[in-house]
Amino acid sequence: MKYILYQLKKHPLAIVGIAIILFWLIMASVGPSLLSYTHTAMDSENQMAAPGEEGHLLGTDSLGRDLLARIVYGSRSILTVALMTSIVSTFIGVILGFSAGYFGGKIDTTFLRGMDILMAIPPLVLSMVILGILGDSSILSLTLIVSIAFVPATARVSRGVLLTEKSQEYVSAARIRGESHLYIMFVEILPNTTGPIIVEATARFAYSIMMVASLGFLGVGLQPPTPDWGMMVIENKPIIAQAPWTVLFPALAIASLVIAISIFSDFVSKVLIHER
Amino acid sequence: MNDNILEIENLHVRFSTFDGEFSAVNNVSLTLGTNESIGIIGESGCGKSTLSFTVMRYLANNASVEGSVRYKGENLLEKTEHEMEKYRGDRIAMVFQNPYSSLNPALTIGFQLDEVGMHHQKLSKKKAREATIQALELMNLGDPKGIARRYPHQVSGGIQQRICIAMALLCRPDLLILDEPTTALDVTTEAVILDSIKELKDKLNMSLMYISHDMGVINKVAEQVVVMYSGEIVERGPKNEIFDNPTHPYTRALINCMPRGGVVKEKTKLNTIPGYVKRRGAHEGGCPFADRCEKRNDTCESKYGIRQVGEKHFAACDRAYATDIPDTLKEKLSPLQQEVQSFDSQEDLLQVSNLHKIYGTRRKVYAVNGIEFAVKPRSVIGIVGESGCGKSTTGHMVSGLYKPSKGRILFGDTDISIAWNKRNKETLKNIQLIFQNPGRSLNPSHTVEQIIGRAMKKLANMNDAAERREKIIQILKKVDLGKDYLEKKPRQLSGGEQQRVAIARALSISPNLIVCDEPTSALDVSVQASVLNLLNDLQAETHAAYMFISHDLNVINYLSDYIMVMYAGKIAEYGMRDEVMNPPFHPYTEALLSAMPEVDPTKQKEPIELLGQLPDPAKKPKGCPFAGRCHKQVGEICEKQYPPKVQLSDSHYYYCHIKPTA
Repeated sequence: MKYILYQLKKHPLAIVGIAIILFWLIMASVGPSLLSYTHTAMDSENQMAAPGEEGHLLGTDSLGRDLLARIVYGSRSILTVALMTSIVSTFIGVILGFSAGYFGGKIDTTFLRGMDILMAIPPLVLSMVILGILGDSSILSLTLIVSIAFVPATARVSRGVLLTEKSQEYVSAARIRGESHLYIMFVEILPNTTGPIIVEATARFAYSIMMVASLGFLGVGLQPPTPDWGMMVIENKPIIAQAPWTVLFPALAIASLVIAISIFSDFVSKVLIHER
Repeated sequence: MNDNILEIENLHVRFSTFDGEFSAVNNVSLTLGTNESIGIIGESGCGKSTLSFTVMRYLANNASVEGSVRYKGENLLEKTEHEMEKYRGDRIAMVFQNPYSSLNPALTIGFQLDEVGMHHQKLSKKKAREATIQALELMNLGDPKGIARRYPHQVSGGIQQRICIAMALLCRPDLLILDEPTTALDVTTEAVILDSIKELKDKLNMSLMYISHDMGVINKVAEQVVVMYSGEIVERGPKNEIFDNPTHPYTRALINCMPRGGVVKEKTKLNTIPGYVKRRGAHEGGCPFADRCEKRNDTCESKYGIRQVGEKHFAACDRAYATDIPDTLKEKLSPLQQEVQSFDSQEDLLQVSNLHKIYGTRRKVYAVNGIEFAVKPRSVIGIVGESGCGKSTTGHMVSGLYKPSKGRILFGDTDISIAWNKRNKETLKNIQLIFQNPGRSLNPSHTVEQIIGRAMKKLANMNDAAERREKIIQILKKVDLGKDYLEKKPRQLSGGEQQRVAIARALSISPNLIVCDEPTSALDVSVQASVLNLLNDLQAETHAAYMFISHDLNVINYLSDYIMVMYAGKIAEYGMRDEVMNPPFHPYTEALLSAMPEVDPTKQKEPIELLGQLPDPAKKPKGCPFAGRCHKQVGEICEKQYPPKVQLSDSHYYYCHIKPTA
C-alpha cells in the first residue's frame, strides 16, 4: 500500500486517471438516483435545449431526452460490458495461451495458426459479422462476442509470459518432483505472471470501451431503449449543426473514460512490471 | 606536479529509493599512479561497481554524489555530459562483466570498433579500420581481419571479452577500468586474458583499476589492493602486505574463506563470515562490518576511521589479531570427520554406462558423448570441466530432467534412463537436484513453508499439515535458519539463505543421491564457504551421496571423494581425489589445475595456456577431443585415434596417448 502511494507521487498523471475512473464508477452505480429525469423520458417542450436550460444540465436531444441522464445510464451498460469483456477474454486467453505455451510442439503451432487467422480479421469487423449473423445484441451476447474478438491478443500475451517463466528452474524443480501439468501451470507459474496479465486485462478494458462504442456507432451495438454512448453520437449526428452538445458530450464521455483507463493501465504496468 | 592519474577524495554516493536513502559508496579516498594497477575487492553489494561507475559518470539519476574524482587534476564530477565525452572511451575506458551484452549483436565487430576511432579520434573510415586491426592484434587474436568481419555471436565468450578489451584499448587510454571482466568466463580463458592484461599494461603504460570478488584474480593483476566493505574502504595497501598481514578482520576473513589449493574436507572446515552485507542508510556511522565481526568491541562505533598502519598500508581497524577476544578460528576450522573414508567394499549406488545426450535432429550436438562411471553410496563425486563439457547435462539426466539419447543409468537395481514423467515416486524422492541459481529454483510467489512442504507432501506422503510444519522447522534448523523463515518469500532472503532453503527442500525427504549443479557459483565467497561447510556437515549426518558439479577445481577438491574431469562430453580423467589431484595425469587436468588463480602471493605459478577453443560439439571427433588445445600433444596419433583408457589403479583411469612415466 505504501509502495503504491510512493508510486502515485512519482506519477501524478495516474491520479487524474484514477479519479476519472472513480467518477464514472460512482456515476454508474449511484448516478441514476440523483437524477430528476430518466433516460427515456421525453421533455417534448424542450427539444434540443442547450446545456443549462430548463433544468437540463447538459441539454436535450432532438426528442427532448435529457443528455445527462442518457450518458449516466449509458455508462452502466458500457462499463458492465467492458469489465466483463476484459475478465472473460483474459480468462479464456490465459487458459488457451498457457496450454499452448506449456505443451508446445504441435499444440502450440495449431494454436498460433488459429490465432493468426482470427487476428487477420480486425476485431471490429469480426464482432460486426458475428453480431450481424446472430442479429441479437444483448449485454451478454455483446460481452461474449467482443471477448472472442480479443482472445487472440490476450492469449498471445499469456503464452509469452508463460514461455519466459517456463524456462525458470523452479519449473524444472516441480517437474522432477512429479507434479501434474495443471499444478505446474496454475499453481507454480500463474502467480508469477499476474503482473503482465493484469496489465493486459486493464488495457483490454480500455479497448473494449472503444469497441462497444464503435459498435454502437455502427448501429450493431446495444439496441434501444438501452442507451449507448456510441449510438448517441450517431443518432444525433444529423443535428450536429444546430445542437453540437448532443454529439460533444457522449464523445467526451467515451474519450475521458478510454484515456483514463489507458493512463491507469500504464501506471499498473509501471508498478507491477517495470519497477519490481 | 604529481604523477597520479586518478585521485578520489571523500567520495560519497547515495541512492534514494522507495526504501529510503541508502549509501553505496561512503567516504572513499584513493589514488592511482601512472602505470599502476589497483585491485578492488569485496563481496557483492560492497559498492565496487558503483565506485567505477562514478569515475565514468554512469550513475543512475537517483544517485547523489559528493566529494571529488580527479583525473590528472581535473574534477570529473564537475564536467558536463558533453565534456565527459572527451574522457569516456578515449582517456578512460571501461570493460564490463558480460561481453555478450556489451557488444551489439546486430553489427559486425569491425564496425563497432571502427566507431570508437571515428568518434574519438576523428579518423577516416580507412584509418579507423587500421586502428581496429591493430587493437585486435594487441590482444593476440589470430586473424584480426577475419574477426573484424564477423558478428559477436560468431565468436566464443572468451574472444568476445578480448574484443571488448581491444575496443577499450583502441584509443590508448591512460586509465582502464575492468569490472569483473573474467567472472563469466572459464578458468582457462581467464588465465589467458589476465596474462594479456598484465602484459599490455606495461606495453601501453596504462593504469588499471581492476574490480573483482576473487582474491586469486586480484593477486594476479594488481599491485595495490583495496578492500571494500559495504561502500567503505576497510583496508588498502600494497598487495603483499595485504595478503601477508591483513589488518582488518574482514580482509582476514575473506582471505581465509577461499577453498585454496590443497584444502580438503578431512583436514579443515572452511572459514565463514556469519551474516551478509547489509545496505547502509545514508548517514550511518561506525564500522559497517561490526555486526559480522567476531572481534568487535565498544570502540567499533566510536573510534572508527581509516588510519595508517604501515608505510603505504591503511586500514580502518587493526583488531584482526586482537587478543582480548579469543581466536575461534582454529576451533571453527576443525572438521567433523578426520578419516579418509574407504568405499571399496560398497556396491555402486548409481551406475552409468555408455551415456549419450544428443541435441537437435538435423545439426546434431553431442553434449554428452558416451561416458561411463559409478557412484558409491555415501560418497561425493565431483564433476569438473569448462562450460560446455557436458557436466550439467550429465547431472540433469541423472536427476531426470532430460531423457538420455542412448545408454543406461542404473540406480540401485532400477533402470532410470527415462525422463521425470516416467519415473516412479520412489526414484523421484531418492534423487534430488540442487540448482545453480537459488533465486530461480525457488518459486518467487510461494513461501518457504510451501516450498519445502510441497516436496514432503508430494514425495514423502506427509499429509498432516501440523506434523509437516514441525518437520520443516527441524530441517530449517539444520540449515541454520530460524522458525521465522517459514512465512518468508524467496525475494526476502539473501542469496545464501535462498540456497539454504533449496538445500533444505532437497534434504526434507531424505534422498539417497543429491545432484548439486554448481550450487555455490552464484554466491559470494564467504557465503560459498558456509554453504560448502553446510553441505559437508549434512553429508556426514545424512549419508546421502552427492554428485557435485562445478567448474571450480578448488571447490571440487575440497568436497569430493572422487573426481571426474570432463572435456567435450567425454571423461578425461576419473579417480579418487588424491589420485587425480597429485599429480594430475591427463594434460587437461593439469591445465585446469594450473589455471586456477592462486590466492597466496608467494605461490605464483605459470599457467599452462590453452589456446584455441572447445571442439565443435556438432562434429564427432575421431581422435582425442582435447588434441587441438593440448600442450603435450605427442603427434598425429592424437588427432587420428581416440586415446586408450589408461588404468592406474582400481579406481583411477584416464584417456590419453601419453603413458605414465613412473
